[in-house]
Amino acid sequence: MNDHRTIKILLISRNKSALSELKSGLGKKQVQTEWVESGSIALARIAQENFDLAVADENLADMTGLEFCEEVIAQNPMVNLAAVSTLSPADFHETSEGMGILMQLPVSPTQKHAEKLLNQLSTILGLAERIEFKINE
Amino acid sequence: MNNEKRGELVIMRNGRIAVPSNGNGGLDGTRSGHFGHCDVFTFIDVENGKIKQVSTVPNQEHVQGGCMVPVNLLANHNVDALVVGGIGMRPLMGFKQAGINVYHDSERASIRPVVEDLIAGNLPQITDDQVCGGGGGGMHQR
Repeated sequence: MNDHRTIKILLISRNKSALSELKSGLGKKQVQTEWVESGSIALARIAQENFDLAVADENLADMTGLEFCEEVIAQNPMVNLAAVSTLSPADFHETSEGMGILMQLPVSPTQKHAEKLLNQLSTILGLAERIEFKINE
Repeated sequence: MNNEKRGELVIMRNGRIAVPSNGNGGLDGTRSGHFGHCDVFTFIDVENGKIKQVSTVPNQEHVQGGCMVPVNLLANHNVDALVVGGIGMRPLMGFKQAGINVYHDSERASIRPVVEDLIAGNLPQITDDQVCGGGGGGMHQR
């Protein structure tokens, strides 16, 4: 990944406090975070700007977090996604299969989750830039 | 691409086809059931309806949430068409956005007959309700 690139992350929750710990953990030099209160506002922001990641709380004012993820995929599949969910990991996997969600987060995710999330995101953004090619016939 | 439409099907005259493949890939190799977990992608370059060249590119490491990585990989290699046995909604939307047509065959393991069918216009494009997960058919073949 380009060391000088700013990572843009959109946080969506009804109450700012629900993702405040996570936001603190994401507060790195090259990370820019923005919080919005509903799925529809978030979708409008994603239409205006290129975000690397959107993190949705389990229930938003106007839709569930997973419904929001589906809307994002239809609108801009390049945006990476993480979602708060109280489902078991197996149920979450089953429910979100095909949506390519980066990480399931617990309610009120912490700074440790932020660190893990950033590492995972960095891996993906880095992988997208490594390409090899070989002609064999 | 200069291809010919025949109803819902497309006869491929020119372009690059990608096939998620097992092992070393190649035209006589076998297909991987899920594009995100394949070993390599076999590229088949088509010119005037004939196979002109076959090449391979290694897949990237698969990490959770990284399903856009192969989308970028194939887009960067100017792929026009992809044949899958199964695919999730997010990568399918990604391929659509990248202008890569996604075709579907969940039956045959061999690469060659599927490619020949695609070139001849006998392979259907995958539809949104055929994707893996989300109650959409679940065609995962790992």
